[in-house]
Amino acid sequence: MQPETVFDACTGQIVELTEPPTRIGLAVTDLLEGMRKSWLWTTLAQQDVKLRYRGSILGPFWQTLTTGAMIGGMGVIYSKLFRTELYDYLPMLTVGLIFWTLIAGIVTEGCGTFIAVQGIIQQVKLPFSLHVYRLVYRNLLTLAHNFVIIPIVLLMYPHPIAWLRLIELLPGLVLITITGIWVAILLGMISARFRDVPPIVASIVQVVFFVTPVMWPIQALGSNAWWAQLNPFFAAIDVLRGPLLGQSTAPYSWSILLVATALGCAASFAFFARFRSRIAFWV
Amino acid sequence: MRRVVCLLRQVPFSYRLLGLVSLSFLCLRNVCVDFPIYQGSSRSLKKALLATSTHGNLARDALDRINIRALSDVSIDIVNGDRVGLIGLNGAGKTTLLKVLAGVYEPTQGRFASSGSVSSLLDIQVGLNPDATGRENIILRGMYMGIHPREMRSRATEVAEFTELGHYIDMPVRTYSAGMMIRLAFSISTCIPPDILIMDEWLTAGDAQFLEKAQRRVEDFVRGSSILVLASHSTELVERWCNRGILLHQGRVIITGPIKEVVAAYRRLIGGEAAQAAAQMAAAG
Repeated sequence: MQPETVFDACTGQIVELTEPPTRIGLAVTDLLEGMRKSWLWTTLAQQDVKLRYRGSILGPFWQTLTTGAMIGGMGVIYSKLFRTELYDYLPMLTVGLIFWTLIAGIVTEGCGTFIAVQGIIQQVKLPFSLHVYRLVYRNLLTLAHNFVIIPIVLLMYPHPIAWLRLIELLPGLVLITITGIWVAILLGMISARFRDVPPIVASIVQVVFFVTPVMWPIQALGSNAWWAQLNPFFAAIDVLRGPLLGQSTAPYSWSILLVATALGCAASFAFFARFRSRIAFWV
Repeated sequence: MRRVVCLLRQVPFSYRLLGLVSLSFLCLRNVCVDFPIYQGSSRSLKKALLATSTHGNLARDALDRINIRALSDVSIDIVNGDRVGLIGLNGAGKTTLLKVLAGVYEPTQGRFASSGSVSSLLDIQVGLNPDATGRENIILRGMYMGIHPREMRSRATEVAEFTELGHYIDMPVRTYSAGMMIRLAFSISTCIPPDILIMDEWLTAGDAQFLEKAQRRVEDFVRGSSILVLASHSTELVERWCNRGILLHQGRVIITGPIKEVVAAYRRLIGGEAAQAAAQMAAAG
């Protein structure tokens, strides 16, 4: 094979081309470059949130109102249905539903990570990870708006708050964010290639909502509660709900979440490294 | 052992400071780009999964991928001061080549290396929000070019002036005509002189007065050792703007060289195609 050469305009000499970076190297560069452009995706995500509620007086707090109304309505009905006190049920439902909104948002929107921005991908060279960070950050912003409801509910139905345990929220949120990133990468790429995936995922998310103890207490399962504890979606909600309500988290929640995050990251990275250059052709 | 010299070697800082050296180049070696055309069942995960488990006919059905070779075996060197015109018939691979140069498509085969900041004007609409005003869109599109809103704000007046849109700059972009959109997009994309400017043929839709102004701006920074790559059907425009030409035909480079020669080759190609078509018509008739 003849050596690949290029004219070096700096010295006026012909030099040989360097070895091309490996796929893994390119993938890592992509992820880091995206991080370095944090000003871009934070601005774009803020704009996304603003534009979504453009023209309404409440702005993004429209979302808060919707969630609040849903919690109020469901709280009253379901506490009767499950024969629990509103005092116990409402805080559980509130916290559970708000974090479920985050998880479901990332999963369903994650299918459109790349499809939704195909115009940009086709025209401008930007790190692919930038679109992922934008999506995850946008959903975290929505979470921040919804979060307002939690202190209100906790004031209405005062529970003793274990202040020290609130520190646990931090690693929990970090893990969920990392999970959000790999989910958005993986689902985004698969959906770009196979266009029947987004509707499939949407129906799965709906089913998962009903089988996961979000709006019903896990104790209701009695001795069968252990299998619900193995559900990674429950684990994710549990590690955030426990500290906020001052309840103990289920025994395996942290380990399940950690293992799921690690496995997911590995699988997602392998996929990203292998097919990253194809994304522009898929969308 | 093969000696490997670092291609993107650091130029000494003092050189850069004095503006003695500015290194920008685009280099393609045996570049091929294959487009997978997904249609019907090849877009379906269900079909693909079924196919892997059943083989046979289904496999052929589900994987009815057609690959189109948009570029084949393209080797080009473009260096400082080159104003390159890409010409060719519709579907010759001009836009694909521009996208490879802009870094949007990674070559399926072969190598692509480049140095220098790239500004690409492939699509007018990118980063423009039709409901926002022209002035707001200057900031918006700037962001997609990697320019921080803070910096863009300080350049907004300058950009607005260059567009000569007057009061329209404070109107929503959806009220703009195509020509006005071109003025806005071009002004934004060139407000910071890029090392490499990549333009698709839509620019030609601008009016003559603006084209002249745009040409002066591009010539200014190409003289400052930059690169221009322009794709167009208009041999007239290409001859005016460019000093080098590349003729593409069916994804292959037919000829590269001084623009005059390439344009002449293009005319011959069109003539040849026309003659061929006429011959076919005659044979059929």
